[in-house]
Amino acid sequence: MTSRRKGFITMSGKLLGTILMVLLMCWTVNAAEKPIVIGGSLPLTGQFAETGQWIERGMKFWAKETNEKGGLLGRPVEFKIYDDESNVNKAVTYAEKAITVDKVDLLFGGYPGTAARAVMPVVEKHKFVYVSMGGHMKSFEQGYTYSFGGPPLMGEWWYEGFFQWLETVPADQRPKRAAVYTMNNPIGASLTESIIIWTKKLGIEIAIDEKYNLPLPDATPLIVKAKQMDCDLLCSNGVFADGVMTIRAAKALGYNPKAIVQGIGSVVPAWSKELGPDGDYVFSGTSLHDKLKFPGNDKLNAFVKKEYQIDGYPMYFGFGYVWMQTLSQGVEGAKSLDQTKIRDWLKSNKVDTIAGPMKFTDKGIPDPINFCTQVINGHAELIWPPEVRTANPVYPKPAWK
Amino acid sequence: MGQDSGWSKRTLLLVIVFISCVTIFPWLGPPVYFISFAFNVFIYITLATSWNIIGGYTGYLSFGHVAFFGIGAYAAAIFGMWFGLSPALNILASIPAGLVSMLLAILVGYPCLRLRGPYFAVITLCFAFVTELTIRNLDFLGGADGLWLKGLALPIEVSRSIFFELMLVLTLVTLFVANRIEKSKFGSGLRAIKEDEEVAQTMAINTPKLKITAFAISAFFPGVAGGLYACYLTYIHPDIVFDVNVSILIVLMALFGGGAFWFGPLVGATILTFVNEGLSTFVKAEYARIIYGCLFIIVIIFMPNGILEFAKTRMVKKPAKFEAAVK
Amino acid sequence: MNLVLVFQSLISGIMMGAVYALLGIGFSLTWGVMKVINVSHATFGLIAAFVAYTLFKVFGMDPVASLAVTLPSLFGLGCLVYWFLINPITRAKAVIVSSMILTFGIAIILENLILLVWGADPRLLTTSYTNKVFAIGPLYFQYPRVLGFLMAVVGVTAIQLFLKRTLTGKAVRAAWQQSEASQLCGINLKKISMITFGLAVASAGAGGVGMAMLYSFEPHSHNLWLIYLFLVVIVGGVGNILGAAAGGMLIGVITGLSMAFLPYQWINVLTFGLLMLILIFRPHGLFRSEV
Repeated sequence: MTSRRKGFITMSGKLLGTILMVLLMCWTVNAAEKPIVIGGSLPLTGQFAETGQWIERGMKFWAKETNEKGGLLGRPVEFKIYDDESNVNKAVTYAEKAITVDKVDLLFGGYPGTAARAVMPVVEKHKFVYVSMGGHMKSFEQGYTYSFGGPPLMGEWWYEGFFQWLETVPADQRPKRAAVYTMNNPIGASLTESIIIWTKKLGIEIAIDEKYNLPLPDATPLIVKAKQMDCDLLCSNGVFADGVMTIRAAKALGYNPKAIVQGIGSVVPAWSKELGPDGDYVFSGTSLHDKLKFPGNDKLNAFVKKEYQIDGYPMYFGFGYVWMQTLSQGVEGAKSLDQTKIRDWLKSNKVDTIAGPMKFTDKGIPDPINFCTQVINGHAELIWPPEVRTANPVYPKPAWK
Repeated sequence: MGQDSGWSKRTLLLVIVFISCVTIFPWLGPPVYFISFAFNVFIYITLATSWNIIGGYTGYLSFGHVAFFGIGAYAAAIFGMWFGLSPALNILASIPAGLVSMLLAILVGYPCLRLRGPYFAVITLCFAFVTELTIRNLDFLGGADGLWLKGLALPIEVSRSIFFELMLVLTLVTLFVANRIEKSKFGSGLRAIKEDEEVAQTMAINTPKLKITAFAISAFFPGVAGGLYACYLTYIHPDIVFDVNVSILIVLMALFGGGAFWFGPLVGATILTFVNEGLSTFVKAEYARIIYGCLFIIVIIFMPNGILEFAKTRMVKKPAKFEAAVK
Repeated sequence: MNLVLVFQSLISGIMMGAVYALLGIGFSLTWGVMKVINVSHATFGLIAAFVAYTLFKVFGMDPVASLAVTLPSLFGLGCLVYWFLINPITRAKAVIVSSMILTFGIAIILENLILLVWGADPRLLTTSYTNKVFAIGPLYFQYPRVLGFLMAVVGVTAIQLFLKRTLTGKAVRAAWQQSEASQLCGINLKKISMITFGLAVASAGAGGVGMAMLYSFEPHSHNLWLIYLFLVVIVGGVGNILGAAAGGMLIGVITGLSMAFLPYQWINVLTFGLLMLILIFRPHGLFRSEV
């Protein structure tokens, strides 16, 4: 009896031990593989749904790639994305929800600029690193320390490349008079700054400087005016809807300026897809580009080709990817998920991204980026700076067909 | 809320206990998000309840009420900027900001309140557009760039809790005023206008005066709420504080709950905010919106006069049936 | 004074306004006749625009020809919506209010269905004649605008003839002017209303295709179009079809002229400000209401 009993006790003791061991192992393994959760909100429905969905796709591609490589700090990554319905107020509360309720490990960047402007003071209070497009220069001048434009979508820098290139054009071939039409919102306001500085420098007279509120009801009068005033440079600082109207009106009225510069309307894939050859020869800026030689761009292009049948990844797909790239390098550099350590690492080290190497200033932005693009044969080619050039600029713009 | 409000002591006690619980909630250390979420619910309750004073009681559907919220936000921000107010004083500037909204409501209400029905709805909508675009076009008001405010130099939990309490007070005051109006002679005057304005006039009711008073009161609270919101968010932009969807949403909230009752908007705003939040959290984006849309259809088909009206008729009918059954 | 700019702006404004009017007549009809404010009106137009886009891209079908498919389908859809959703609420105390909430729900559903089916990308109808123009003197006429203008003329005339000349149309007007008396005459109010509503929704389809020729469109574009609808209908007088047509053109003229004379950023302020003045001084529209 007793021996049997003893045996039973030892047996059960061993069993218990094993179970405990297994549980412990499971727990440790679990802890090691517990995913890093990255949260926040994007405009997946409503006014900015198109851009929001492209950013989401870019982020998800980054996550897929990272997880295949063994994750971040050896842990898999996972997103918790809320739909803020293109509503800034919701973007703010969802950022707080991600931080305080979901207790996410990292935060991803939102869209558009107004949302970023409202979220930036909040993440500063919560001491969370926020890598996003930012809300143009003014938002980076508010003294926030946790916000990074990695790279930013900076209206103030947008046309730098274009004007730097224009400077290389012989003075007698440069445009003489500019018509500047700008949408009345933060992007528009930021875009005009460089135009004013550079036109002065290059001796181009601004003959028309008009702002309009979105939606633009009709572009015909804009073009008639520009044509009458003999403006040979058209700066259309708008988004897609008003941009395509301007192009169509210019074609219909036979207005042929030497160059057309377009705000952010021409950076979405819909531009060439919907406008066709009429969308060609339009200049714009960018912070990153599918034809840059920095490592990684080819992988993005291959993925987009396979998944969405698009040649060259759309800009916002790239943004979704690159912001995560910057953030993850901060995490790996700091070797920790401690937000302040990540911030300090990012402020004092260089990151290597698909948009090139970046070193952040105290404001959280890299050195000014001056890529200039021109749509040629339905694809945005890099024009400036010369070392990244993928095609020779077409200037002056050929007459409409 | 005294004896004449017709509340039994038990209800009163329950309400007081409930309010106290809500008051201490942010100090129990919940995640900050819940405080911010509640702050937003309070804003919607305040907006919908004050809208109801003109929209629900009088039947004058204002579709531009967000204008008063936006004006309040901008007024508070500009007071802060011009007078160099400290963040704490800037919060107090919300009250004069409310008065600015009220003043504008009187100026605009005077010609607009002569219009009826959908015409009034459209003119208020236009008013909201005009104010928004004007602010957007004027650079000294921040223009297209918006305005930044200084935030309170306190830990986020504390500053959020302070805004929670302030907005709670504003909400309670708004509800109290709406309740007082409903029970008062002024309120019955407003209801008479809703029933039939001509008849009301023949009954020696000074309808223009009544309407303008109601409109002014209903603009004051959104103005104060706007001021508080500006201090809470620390960045304002016409896109944010003049969002036309908010205008429409508060109308829907009030009517959803039941516009004839002072606590109808409270019910509507609470349900809709919570449902929307739940949907956004648990359902994929597009499907969440579709379900949200279905909600309006279902409610309006089965409860065309709001949830409260529906509940009331049910509650009245049931005992009657019960008595019949006993007999 | 710059006459070319003024006239060019005017021409383009009037043609644009005609398309607004085409989109607006159905809205005016349901509001004026049935006291139903159909907030989802523009959303139905948007569906027609997306269908036209797809038919054009896939089968190369002309957007105007695609109306042969979309209009009957939208008519059917409108009838169904009326029968199952609108009709139950016509008994409510305040039809106008309940109909707005109900159709607001419909608009949200449709917008997100479009988002699911077509995705969020902006679209543009680019046909062979999109950028064609003909010129009279120094003035240009753009084909898509002329086409939109013609569509509007046809649409408005068709609806007006329907109401004034056909038996059903007369019944519609009679039914809503004196519903009890007409019911005694054996008019089936529910059926009549259903047809009216279906017709209004179908006209939105034509308007939507017209808008798609002028502007790019996305799943949320209907919110914007809705604002134009309100403008057109209020200026023209609720329920007044010809008024709506005139209202649309007037808005086009105002926009066109102000673009010639004012800084662009004040155009919308002026449009909405003028609308407020019209409402204050002519609360029933600039044109006497009929129907």
